[in-house]
Amino acid sequence: MEEELHELIRALEEMSERQSDYHAQALLFATSKLLQEQDKRIALMEGELDGTLWSPRNWGE
Amino acid sequence: MKTLVIISHPEIGDSSSQQFLLSAVPKDKDVTIHHLESVYPDGNIDTVKEQKLLKQHDRILFQFPFYWYSSPALLKQWQDDVLTEGFAYGPRGSMLAGKEFGLVLAIGVKNSEYQAGGRESFSISELTKPYQAMAVKTEMVYLKPLLIFQFAYMTHEQKMKLYIDYQQVLTREKDASLETREKWLLEQLEQLDGKAFQPNEETTLSNAMEQIKTNRTTIDELKMILEQIR
Repeated sequence: MEEELHELIRALEEMSERQSDYHAQALLFATSKLLQEQDKRIALMEGELDGTLWSPRNWGE
Repeated sequence: MKTLVIISHPEIGDSSSQQFLLSAVPKDKDVTIHHLESVYPDGNIDTVKEQKLLKQHDRILFQFPFYWYSSPALLKQWQDDVLTEGFAYGPRGSMLAGKEFGLVLAIGVKNSEYQAGGRESFSISELTKPYQAMAVKTEMVYLKPLLIFQFAYMTHEQKMKLYIDYQQVLTREKDASLETREKWLLEQLEQLDGKAFQPNEETTLSNAMEQIKTNRTTIDELKMILEQIR
């Protein structure tokens, strides 16, 4: 995870903890989790892309 | 989309899980909460009124504590009285066809016991077959259930997740893809009261919203490239 995204997620978690309104607290927490899920999805797709480009199946082409 | 939540719980006021869920119901959305034991304390269900209520909604949810692998008695009676031939099924009864149907269950035993070899032996999917059959017979689309295991033992973070999951069951479109959840969350964040935040918090919030959108663009681009080279 890039440092910038890491910082943003931490800021969201801290912001969530500071909220007195439960709705805002839960929503901000969910936002930090969603950003992590997106980041993981991107990493998986990049991994797949990398794996496909380096597949021996494509070497003979 | 209009959602009808039919709750059956004989002592809803004393139930911490039910009170928690009630606190999560969005006030400004098209959500109708219908607690059967409050509406019909004497058990005499008004069939015509109930059928009218069903017709007015697109998503029907049954919410109850899982008693003896089923619902409290009043909800069963409600099914017997309201889902009649000619209304819910039969040659001239397809008033529920195309609507969505889902369960929200509060369960006292932990998840891992609901499987072969576990203390309860059967999975929740197996034990809720009568509700799935009801959806099939009435031509409703069966949604993935929201299963709440051992609410009393949940951590603060698990409860926050449940709060959001429940709101999504009430208001989000059926598709649970990452993209749909992003869209739902962005809509909710836009509606947050900005006045409650410090200036630096407002910046964090807008950065987070931007980041969600940027990530979506990246995911879509990667998807396109992968489709081309596969």
